Amino acid sequence: MDDAPTWADFAAGWELGIYRDPVLCGVLAGLVLGYLGVFVVLRRMVFVTAAVSQAAGLGVALTFFVEVHVGTALDPALGAVVLALLMTAVFAIDPERLRLSREAILGLAYITSWAGAILIGDRIAQEAHEISAILFGTAVLVSTRDLVLVAAVGGGVLLLFLLGHRGFVFAAFDRESARVQGLPVRALDLASWVLIALAVSVTTRALGVLPVFAFAVLPAMSALMLANRLRWVLPLAAAAGAVSGGAGYIVAFFLELPVGASQAIVAFALWLACVPVRLARRG
Amino acid sequence: MSRELIRCVDLRVGYREAILPAIDAVVRAGELWVVIGRNGSGKTTWFKTMLGLNPPIGGRVERPAPGLRFSYVPQRSVYDDLFPLLARDVVAMGTERGGSFVMPRFGEPPQVRRALSDVGAWDLADRPFRQLSEGQKQRVLLARLAASEPDLALLDEPTAAMDVVAEREAFEYLDHLRRDRGLAVIVVSHFLGVAREFADRAIFLERDTQSVVVGTPDEVLGSRAFRHSFGDAEELCAHG
Repeated sequence: MDDAPTWADFAAGWELGIYRDPVLCGVLAGLVLGYLGVFVVLRRMVFVTAAVSQAAGLGVALTFFVEVHVGTALDPALGAVVLALLMTAVFAIDPERLRLSREAILGLAYITSWAGAILIGDRIAQEAHEISAILFGTAVLVSTRDLVLVAAVGGGVLLLFLLGHRGFVFAAFDRESARVQGLPVRALDLASWVLIALAVSVTTRALGVLPVFAFAVLPAMSALMLANRLRWVLPLAAAAGAVSGGAGYIVAFFLELPVGASQAIVAFALWLACVPVRLARRG
Repeated sequence: MSRELIRCVDLRVGYREAILPAIDAVVRAGELWVVIGRNGSGKTTWFKTMLGLNPPIGGRVERPAPGLRFSYVPQRSVYDDLFPLLARDVVAMGTERGGSFVMPRFGEPPQVRRALSDVGAWDLADRPFRQLSEGQKQRVLLARLAASEPDLALLDEPTAAMDVVAEREAFEYLDHLRRDRGLAVIVVSHFLGVAREFADRAIFLERDTQSVVVGTPDEVLGSRAFRHSFGDAEELCAHG
């Protein structure tokens, strides 16, 4: 027990910058994805984030594949963003034209990306150590570059969502009336998925699939149980996401657990804490 | 004669193939139209085609005056109760038009309070929309329509969940809107008695018998096509 981590160890690591970048990255990713997750949950498309993060993983694998087998070095984050954006094009397809449900299209995209990442990973496994970390990032080792990228892309995405907030909400709540009143509903749809894909792809590269999926779903669920008005749900979800990102890292540090899973479990614990509050309230 | 707002010229509506005969109709400012037909008769399809939500199968929809403001109240089933919105938030949506949503807004637009008060629903303003009864929701949606200050309003069974008194009040309010503000109103309703009392024009649509009848309410309710589907109009009107 003498070897158990202490606050002094954490503070020393923070001073050295070892823990600062991953914690800040977790907080920022949680904040941005918590906010965006409200729209994902309200539109009943929670598996969009899973599919997009798998596509981002495939993009990262492809960049490594190209580097190893073609000799051209590409930025893994670029691969993640490009594949995530391509995934949004799949969402732009009207599933009714294919006589399928949106859910089925999501499943198809998820399975294909997952299988592709495994197949390509198999071809670069000999050259790359810790292949899962390369594919999906790791919340333990976040570089300053990753942090800057998450801050820049996440901040930009959040700003654009705030700018178009009323349009996004109207188009999601009552699509036909919004169209009749001249709102560019299709453009708003596409913009929302592109922005979500951008945020998911850069955070997936930095932190990994699991915490990103958790941040995009669980904080929104917690906030939706607590508040009856969207103007309160959104900041609550962002706050719950930020707490999950930061506290999850600290829990992982002290209990010596995997970081991404700890962040997901903290997000779940917050949701669990909201359940009795919700049940105790009427309406 | 008041100005034309929308004109259906040899219009064929449907999905992939026409479900009704060609429709010719002209809607003018200040008119109140009632749309009559059984469930699945093609009323909503006609609505959506006029609004540009569905492409016509044939013919065309003309909007003689450019820049007109349209508003639409869909059937009650389209709203997702997951959304955490207050009634006043829903009414405020009516004030959005085109790209207005990118302009910063400080405080609530004054139309919200006015419209909610006008439909007698101000006491519902701070209630979650999802917790309202269907009749209350429809009053809030009427307020949203009023807040949007349209030239042409289309309502798809807005009184379906209302009791007789609330339903009459809703028609009185629509009547007031078109007289006071000069907008045209097209409303789908199964309450023939009230509809006949307030409407200037009526259109009967029936997919099964491939019937389209346009005229005054008395002309439509007295038509052979209507009587074939519904029976005696006087008896039906006596029941609502």
